[in-house]
Amino acid sequence: MDHKDAVRLKATERYLLNELDPDLLDQFEEHLFDCQECALDVRAGAMFVEQSKNVLTETPQSAPTPVMPSTQKNWLSWLRPAVAVPVMALLLAVVAYQNLMEWPAIKSASALPEIVPYATMNIATRGATVPVIAAKPGQNFSLLVDVPPDGDFSSYIADLYNPAGKIEWSLAIPAAAVANDSLCVRVPGTNRPGGVYVLALRGIRRESNGPSEIGRHSFELRLQ
Amino acid sequence: MVYLRERSEDERGVLSSPLVIVLIPGSQTAYKGVRYFPLLRFPRGKLLQFQAFDESYVERLRSGDFRTQEHFVAYFSELIQLKLRTRLHSPQAIEDVRQETFVRVLAALRTPGGIRHPERLGPFVNSICNNVLLEHYRANPNGPSIDDDPETDFADPVIDILGAVAARQMEQKVREILDEMAERDRRILRAVFLEELDKDEVCREFGVDRDYLRVLLHRAKQSFKSIYLKSIERTPPVGKQS
Repeated sequence: MDHKDAVRLKATERYLLNELDPDLLDQFEEHLFDCQECALDVRAGAMFVEQSKNVLTETPQSAPTPVMPSTQKNWLSWLRPAVAVPVMALLLAVVAYQNLMEWPAIKSASALPEIVPYATMNIATRGATVPVIAAKPGQNFSLLVDVPPDGDFSSYIADLYNPAGKIEWSLAIPAAAVANDSLCVRVPGTNRPGGVYVLALRGIRRESNGPSEIGRHSFELRLQ
Repeated sequence: MVYLRERSEDERGVLSSPLVIVLIPGSQTAYKGVRYFPLLRFPRGKLLQFQAFDESYVERLRSGDFRTQEHFVAYFSELIQLKLRTRLHSPQAIEDVRQETFVRVLAALRTPGGIRHPERLGPFVNSICNNVLLEHYRANPNGPSIDDDPETDFADPVIDILGAVAARQMEQKVREILDEMAERDRRILRAVFLEELDKDEVCREFGVDRDYLRVLLHRAKQSFKSIYLKSIERTPPVGKQS
């Protein structure tokens, strides 16, 4: 290391801050003992640090200034009482309505028996006819799926494709859920348009890296 | 064996050094267990002026010229202490290594062909110090002993009047520099040097990077350097006196 390197690397400051790695430290010290300019620099720096400790010890530390967000315009400036109170009141009204009116109605409705539309399909076969499910808008329906007997699958995944061909959801199914080689899947009807859907079933074998498709079947949802 | 002893009345006269180095030829220098006399006392901050480390300087050192010895010890003592401050935590260990380094360098001066390149006296002192440090590590594998008090402030025992005035001036200058700083910068220096907090954490807390820290120290040091230079230029340099 020569003097130019020492200046370029800010070696004096790094030395005083103990930031030099062992290799650079050896190089700089060898230079330091040889270069009176750098020696003066280091000695002055060390003296400054030593004196600073004395001065800073005497000076009472002022209370730390917390890093406060600016009081100028920011995204919290709208949160004034004149705005916050009416908004809070509105939210309270909504919560009260939901808890006092809507939720009891949903609870009582779910406690009543109902007839759920369904379709059966053998996932392993591609039948010429597409089963039709007639349901009211928003009404749930069920799919009774025949699963080919194969004791080698540890679990399954059911994928539902919407009429546009995009996968809507994937449902993980443990092997224990398949009873008598049949599976019953409840499909939510909320915001569901009519059309031809596809249910695909994949199986995950024990000691395998990923699922493999067992089969897929279409069905038509007709809204009444 | 190399050791120092007080110069007797018969030996006083031509050479003004109060101490004499005694060499016993054919012996090994034992590091552990050898008690040395304290080497030349030096007032802090004095005699650190620029000196050309050349043939004439080495010759004066070899011949025992007091002022040259004083300058040599003062100049390299501070560098050795800065070097050892992160490597040894015991003031006694630092002092031992410093003394042994000087003894070996002065012994090498008296050996024919001991210092072949006088202009490389500085790196020679550094390499001797490295060797002594290695031997110290081997002799003390467990680090500082329980008797060592790392909190003992290794203060210079000699304080002359001029030195005290210079020290006060330097302290005043440091106060001025710190007062002119922003409060945040003062707190950064306090956290790093006084409280010795982890520098990465300090930078994170104050929202600065390591380079900011270096620049802060650089600027403060540059402001301080002028008064520091004045304090070490008060004594005429070695060799210019009649």
